[in-house]
Amino acid sequence: MASINVRNLSKRFGAVTVIEDLSLDVEDGEFLVLLGPSGCGKSTLLRILAGLEAVSDGEIEIGETRVEEMAPGDRDIAFVFQSYALYPHLTVRRNIAFPLLMKRFRWWMHLPLIGGLAKRRIEKSPEVADTVEDVGRILGLGPLMDRLPRTLSGGQRQRVAVGRAMVRQPAVFLMDEPLSNLDAKLRTSMRAEIARLHARLGGTFVYVTHDQVEAMTMGTRIALMRGGKLQQVGTPRALFQEPANTFVARFVGTPPMNLIDAAFSDGMLRIGQAKLPWHGESRGPVIVGVRPGSFTIHTEAAPDRIAGKVSLVEHLGTHSIVAIRLDDANVLFDDDQDDSSIMVQIDGYSELSINEPVHVSIDPHEITFFDHETGERTATSSVPLGAATV
Amino acid sequence: MKGTSPFVFGVLIVLGLIVFPFYWMLVTATTPPDQLMIETPTLVPSFTRLGVFVEVFSAVPIASWLTNSFIVAAGTTVLCLILSVLPAYALSRFRFRGKAMLALGLFVTQMLPEAMLLVPLYAVFRSLELLDTLTGLIIANAAFGAPIVTWILKGAFDAIPQEVEEAARIDGCSRFDIVMGVALPLVAPTLAATAVIAFFHGWNEYLFAQTFINAADLRPASVGIAGLVGEYAVPIHLVMATGIIYTLPSIVFYLIAQRYVVSGLTAGSVKG
Repeated sequence: MASINVRNLSKRFGAVTVIEDLSLDVEDGEFLVLLGPSGCGKSTLLRILAGLEAVSDGEIEIGETRVEEMAPGDRDIAFVFQSYALYPHLTVRRNIAFPLLMKRFRWWMHLPLIGGLAKRRIEKSPEVADTVEDVGRILGLGPLMDRLPRTLSGGQRQRVAVGRAMVRQPAVFLMDEPLSNLDAKLRTSMRAEIARLHARLGGTFVYVTHDQVEAMTMGTRIALMRGGKLQQVGTPRALFQEPANTFVARFVGTPPMNLIDAAFSDGMLRIGQAKLPWHGESRGPVIVGVRPGSFTIHTEAAPDRIAGKVSLVEHLGTHSIVAIRLDDANVLFDDDQDDSSIMVQIDGYSELSINEPVHVSIDPHEITFFDHETGERTATSSVPLGAATV
Repeated sequence: MKGTSPFVFGVLIVLGLIVFPFYWMLVTATTPPDQLMIETPTLVPSFTRLGVFVEVFSAVPIASWLTNSFIVAAGTTVLCLILSVLPAYALSRFRFRGKAMLALGLFVTQMLPEAMLLVPLYAVFRSLELLDTLTGLIIANAAFGAPIVTWILKGAFDAIPQEVEEAARIDGCSRFDIVMGVALPLVAPTLAATAVIAFFHGWNEYLFAQTFINAADLRPASVGIAGLVGEYAVPIHLVMATGIIYTLPSIVFYLIAQRYVVSGLTAGSVKG
């Protein structure tokens, strides 16, 4: 086990800067998830930690040893690839044994016949064979040990890849979207399996994903990246409840947090025509962030309710998602969206129909405020609340 | 299966075109010399005259020729593969200045006719005392075979998923370990195919052998058989019989190598 300390790391490919002045500490035994959209540099960071990419600037320590100049094989890490990357010419058993074989490999083992015999001897030695057998048993690969990778299913191949990482008992496990090639059901079971593996082995895990469900359920902490920079590092709960900026607010949570232009004036928080009584200093324009579950939909108008029309209703069994286009409030949305509706989550089956006029109120305890200019979070319902009955 | 009939018919025609000359060699070899020039040649080999294949061994030094041919072909194959594997891997995986020019240069060597380089090569070999040696012949053949083998192997290395090699690096392999332990086994089918190409190149080569080898006991079969054709007489049945014997080892080599020429060996390594 080992901690990872990254200091002022930069990575450039020619003129393109992929990671810029990034510092990150991963504690011993922690399960850190690197989360972010495609192209944010999370996989590059992982590959740099593994030694598969060179650093342009900065320092990396694994277990208090500087590793920037170290070969991948000397860093005491294991890497699980998105595409499994098994050795196709070796059986499952020999795939798993490969890292142990390489630890005792000598140059003359490249020689035909003699080398082959020596390698077989290492693979059959009790310390290697028993370890491989144990790993195979833990991962449920027992009956598959003598099969070639091409005869295995996706899930089985991924388990072999995990086994190959486990067998060397590394200080750090690096995983690059290991579940993204699996179907939804298998992904759920493998997610639990990897979490169990972390609990069992207790090593330091750095896990890259763009899937926030994986990040929220598996990580002890999440490092959210965008454009090569860290946006926020914290527990899944902290990222959800106290997003550092509007990007984090929109990235974490499904549906994402709604961002609406608002302004403080005369002791009121004005969102469109709606006015919410608000004690506290007046601070001009702000962005309010409201999670979909923090709205309530009404049919009657009130001064503190925002008017709008239903634009979409999705029934998801236990709850429904209702998209509402607000009449006079400005909703901020992502570049890849073309709809300025807010998303509201309500329990059970919604009877609302499209174009039905509605009025929504906001739970004042659940509002997050962001700076109108920078998008940085300024407060999370920390402003003293009035006697608003919203 | 109605749809396959035209295909099967087509294959049989092509097969006939390839096999018939060989069959005709067999017929000619077993036909008595006095019946070779008759107007209506026989189409069936005379099985009573199969003794001609034994007779050949006493009539001409074919055993020595075949041995020399085998040494040259095997040497060419081994040298070609040794010379090609690391350059092919480097061209496939490394980025370096002049890489494109180097790759093009290798290709250009294939455009030069061997006859054009005969005289300069003769001069070089004379100064290196490689004339009249099988080693010289092997080097000359490998020099022409290695570029094409390099190109073919480069294509095969290109097809190996990058992640497999990265996994090997993390498992503690050096670059050389990766080439020997991971990449080469994965390109084994291509390696077998290039071995066939190099072997045939060495086995069939005539021009260099005819030019560089003077000693009778060092002649390979290609030169020896051509030497049977005299100015006034051509022992055509002997030429055909030796021709058949000359062909057989290369067929055997191909049959051995083609077992390894199978595709899809990298299947299962990565999601695809």
